[in-house]
Amino acid sequence: MNFSFELAIFGSTIAVLIIMGFLLYFFVQDYRKSLLSKEMETAPKEQANAYLSRIRRELSFSAFIMDDSKSIGIRYLITSLAFFFIAGLAGVGMRISLWYPNPSYLTPIQYNILLTEHGTLMLYGWATGSILGLGYYLLPSLLKIKKDSLGVLNSIMYWFFAVGGLLLIFSKSTASWYFYYPLTDQLTQAGGGQFSFAALIGVLFILTATCVASIIFLKMIFLDRDEKIRISSMSLFVWSIVATAILIISSAPISMIADGMVIYDLINPIYFTGANSTALGYAIMFWFWGHPIVYVAVIPAFGLIYELLPKYVGKPVYSYSSGVIALLLLMIFSGTVWGHHLFNSGLGTLWDMIFSTTSFIVAIPSAITVFNWIATIWSGKVKLTLPMMFILNAIVDFIIGGVTGVMQSDVGVNALIHGTYWVTAHFHFILLGVTTGMAFAAIYVLFPTFTGGRRYNSAMGKLHFYLTAGGTYVMTIPWALGGFEGMPRRVAGYFGIFQSYQDAAAIGGVILGIGQLIFLINFVYSAYKPVTISNDNILEEASS
Amino acid sequence: MKSKTLFELIWIVAVLIILTYAAVANLSYLSTQQQNIANPAGGDPPGVLINVTGYQWAWQFTYNNGTVMTDKLVLVANTTYTIVVTSKDVIHDLYIPQFGVQVYAVAGHPNKVSFTPNKPGTYIMECVEYCGEFHYEMRGEVVVLS
Ligand code: HEM
Ligand code: HEM
Ligand SMILES: [Cu+2]
Ligand SMILES: [Cu+2]
Repeated sequence: MNFSFELAIFGSTIAVLIIMGFLLYFFVQDYRKSLLSKEMETAPKEQANAYLSRIRRELSFSAFIMDDSKSIGIRYLITSLAFFFIAGLAGVGMRISLWYPNPSYLTPIQYNILLTEHGTLMLYGWATGSILGLGYYLLPSLLKIKKDSLGVLNSIMYWFFAVGGLLLIFSKSTASWYFYYPLTDQLTQAGGGQFSFAALIGVLFILTATCVASIIFLKMIFLDRDEKIRISSMSLFVWSIVATAILIISSAPISMIADGMVIYDLINPIYFTGANSTALGYAIMFWFWGHPIVYVAVIPAFGLIYELLPKYVGKPVYSYSSGVIALLLLMIFSGTVWGHHLFNSGLGTLWDMIFSTTSFIVAIPSAITVFNWIATIWSGKVKLTLPMMFILNAIVDFIIGGVTGVMQSDVGVNALIHGTYWVTAHFHFILLGVTTGMAFAAIYVLFPTFTGGRRYNSAMGKLHFYLTAGGTYVMTIPWALGGFEGMPRRVAGYFGIFQSYQDAAAIGGVILGIGQLIFLINFVYSAYKPVTISNDNILEEASS
Repeated sequence: MKSKTLFELIWIVAVLIILTYAAVANLSYLSTQQQNIANPAGGDPPGVLINVTGYQWAWQFTYNNGTVMTDKLVLVANTTYTIVVTSKDVIHDLYIPQFGVQVYAVAGHPNKVSFTPNKPGTYIMECVEYCGEFHYEMRGEVVVLS
């Protein structure tokens, strides 16, 4: 037989990869052992993992091989931050391209690819991913869990999440985050994109991971927590995860079924066409989950506010019980309002009446929550640290977002602003101010733990805050004003009359982008400074 | 402490009043102005009928006398019109901001909406349901003659 040079290279590459895999495995095992205490080294995996999940843990890439809850949390946090930066880049790119009324440096197809990547990655990759990450990371310490099982399942589900995100990026779908039928099934670049079904499979992967993680959160909370923590005294962050998990489990599957039906319709169109059904069938099934996901993105942020606020004003939450009740009411009511995304689609007057009324009702628990925060701040003295600044801004942004939300729930008003940048403004106030702001607040609070006792640069942190909060207003206020005059969203070009709004918003988008770069620089720069403080943090309390 | 309880009371009452007012205004609008919001087509629509078809990426308007126009709608002031809107392909959404008229175009599910333009002039019209590559060009003008 002849000597084959290619085969030799191929073979030795495989051999090197296997050796590296082994080395990596032993290196991580070593790291794991160094974290475990003496008596835990011989303990069964369930208990050893529970121990690992309760101690203070640094960000480490070893987490990608270990499978205790905190490691899974670290994986989700790292990955979701990566998705945030990719999606943010897409957002800033779209904003800049809209400087001129005609498509400038992005062609319409490129614009639409960025639009789809931004919407899906931000909601499924960043908002959902960071919540799963914080849940996995914080719940074990907050609940002092006794055992940590199902690590393998958690690990597999994380990989589903990661691969799903990659599918969203590389499918180059142009179907937008709704994936409406029949656009998604037009497999051309002019329609939903040649591989829009791959993006749908990505969404299905992520939602599968999200549902499984939700069930595991509920198991951790109701079965595995320390008996000394009674249900009636669980922290409000834990309650917010309860509400979120139930909301996910009760609504995401409907949308997953619809996604599957759309994929099936590619081969054999029977579900959303034909005599008994129209494309609206998909829209209805989609929004049954499409509304809850926005509350999924925001309820854990409420939990973080409840958790952090008392520590910065020196007083307990004004009313614990009304806090819990409001979170649970939000969970229940937000399952009933999805029709407000379809007011002009011809659901019929009666359905419009029902959905607009439930949308007004959902504002009541929101108002209770806001009052609870204001009353808490009122009773104490505010210590204006960086996380506290994010909290105060989140409260303001949520009030603005909530008021704009109630306004557009009026059917008459909705016919004026649906499909315009007004809606985009409504949700960026909340998704940037509350969801993203509170995720950053939590990251800053946890920074000493993440880096094993380092301090972030607080001047750069403040700059990040001012650019993020300020940029949000500079971007969204012109959107809201333009939207009220009929400036359409999701367009690669627009009527010249809207240019001043678009340009102002582009400046806001660039400010936001610079702010996030400063965060990144601060994070990397501070993580390599010498250790100066303890690695404890106020979110996990002093426990072990 | 006293002022906080007072504030709590004012907050609750204010929120409830605003929401109740909004809900009642909305319900009474819906029950009296039904014809001004999108509804499934059918029945006996008031005024002049115009059939609208959306397709990737233009709007087609068919008048009763057989005239067909693309991306341009010509109306006469102080006349009531009913448009019946449907689609040839994906979902579209016809939107005339200055009239507050908005209605989805869904294949197999025609919708109708009525309105009465009262000021002559030229207005814009656009598709506001994302529909693919040239979604942004699916727009045109509405001319109201006196
Ligand atoms: C007081 C509570 C709220 C009410 C009454 C409300 C109402 C509405 C309504 C009526 C729409 C549909 C607008 C349209 O397309 O015509 C909408 C869209 C939206 N809302 Fe809210 N909202 C509320 C809170 C929130 C919260 C807390 C979030 C969380 C981040 C949120 C995120 C969104 C998003 C993302 C959309 C647009 C989805 C899309 O079309 O891409 N909303 N909201
Ligand atoms: C980094 C700052 C951000 C910038 C510059 C930005 C920019 C934009 C722009 C320009 C659009 C409108 C695209 C269009 O309608 O044509 C958009 C849409 C959207 N953004 Fe953002 N955004 C940012 C942050 C976020 C965050 C943090 C979230 C969620 C957690 C988010 C979620 C969305 C969603 C769901 C849409 C709707 C996509 C669609 O219509 O399909 N954005 N964003
Ligand atoms: Cu909604
Ligand atoms: Cu269209």
